[in-house]
Amino acid sequence: MQLMKTPKSLDLNITTKCNLRCSYCSHFSSAGDIETDLPTEEWLQFFEELKECAVLDVCLSGGEPLSRNDIKELINGIVANRMRFSMLSNGTLMNDDILDFIKSTGRCNSIQVSIDGPGPASHDVHRGKGSFEKALRGLKLLLKHKLPATTRVTIHKQNYKDLDAVAELLLEDVGLPSFSTNSASHLGLCKQNSDETQLNADEYSYVIAKLLELNKKYNGRIGAQAGPLASGKHWKEMEETIKSGIKESPGCGYLRSCGGVFSKMAVRADGTMIPCSQIPHIELGKINKDSLREAWINHPELKRLRDRRDIPLKSFEFCRDCNYTAYCRGGCPALAYTLTGDENKPSPDACYRTFLEAGGKLPKSN
Amino acid sequence: MQAKNEFPTVNPMVVYREEFDDWAVLFDPDTNETFGLDPVSSFIWKKLDGKHSIEKILNELDKECEGGVPEDAPKHIEEFVSDLKNRGLIGYEQN
Repeated sequence: MQLMKTPKSLDLNITTKCNLRCSYCSHFSSAGDIETDLPTEEWLQFFEELKECAVLDVCLSGGEPLSRNDIKELINGIVANRMRFSMLSNGTLMNDDILDFIKSTGRCNSIQVSIDGPGPASHDVHRGKGSFEKALRGLKLLLKHKLPATTRVTIHKQNYKDLDAVAELLLEDVGLPSFSTNSASHLGLCKQNSDETQLNADEYSYVIAKLLELNKKYNGRIGAQAGPLASGKHWKEMEETIKSGIKESPGCGYLRSCGGVFSKMAVRADGTMIPCSQIPHIELGKINKDSLREAWINHPELKRLRDRRDIPLKSFEFCRDCNYTAYCRGGCPALAYTLTGDENKPSPDACYRTFLEAGGKLPKSN
Repeated sequence: MQAKNEFPTVNPMVVYREEFDDWAVLFDPDTNETFGLDPVSSFIWKKLDGKHSIEKILNELDKECEGGVPEDAPKHIEEFVSDLKNRGLIGYEQN
């Protein structure tokens, strides 16, 4: 696979500070946890390098990006260096002043706010008392300012029965064009709160069926790049492909789920370049000291991650006697690392056979 | 119509991004639009520096191409540059 000369976009964890401590946050229990944020000048200098590398956009996350007092200065730096930006936020710190400013730049691709329930009960249980009202207020402010708002619903043990009401709230009452979903995953703080947050096979089965049903009702306005909806769709396709007699699916049979390392990179709040925000332990160099372009092209760890796409699933004991390998891409490398200790292994989290063995069931096709 | 003493020059806010081999994209961060450039278009884009007339660009392209440029190349370059102008990706510099 050909490699671009520089990454197209970067995820920037501009802060480790956050006013919330959500029990399934992918941070706060990983190599991404650092004491101090990088000073403004360091980021501004780095944005100039991003311009030289013709990077098109950055995603600001954290922690909570709006907890940085210099957020306007950082956004001005992004704009001056010919980039667009998006932001992942908990929504609770939004106000007219910052949203007016963001709107005035004309460069915002999206701002994602997390909403996990139709009301405080199932949202606040893992995000903290009062956070639902503030997040919903933030989401409505984004819409008032005509900014491109998106919402992520993280599905967990306490909200998985609320999905009808969540869809009604977001798609009908608030009027979002769509929202995306995931489930609490074995990353960051979730690793230590797994029993209270992560879905078991029965719950996962229920959620797959419910999201597929809701997606039909709402004409595909519910999305997912990972989690129950994404897995459910993929696993149903697997079954249908097998039933139709096709021996293998294109691009499957190898560790090819994630193409991120071919187009993106990330930076931790301490300025360490990393392959992805969810793989913060692989250090590729320091911004403003090491060259981004050099790390992108030549860093052996990035090469190792890119080479995973040539590793056949059948080479793993875990997959050897599985009937689904010719239809499978092995799952997320970050979850493979947190679950097995190696990014270049299949992730048990995305494994259809594991799901079935645990008693999971896919809904019957209509 | 371009005046004789006006030379095309790129809009400095437009990003020229080389991707694979000599292929590239132009990206306008204000409109979020991207435009693909083949190797010949990329060659021309790099000459839009306010110092090259279209005739001069054509001559340099002719030298680069084995067997020279096709007969209708001037027309195509004019159209390409005019399209870039209409999309706000370039302007003209008085010399």
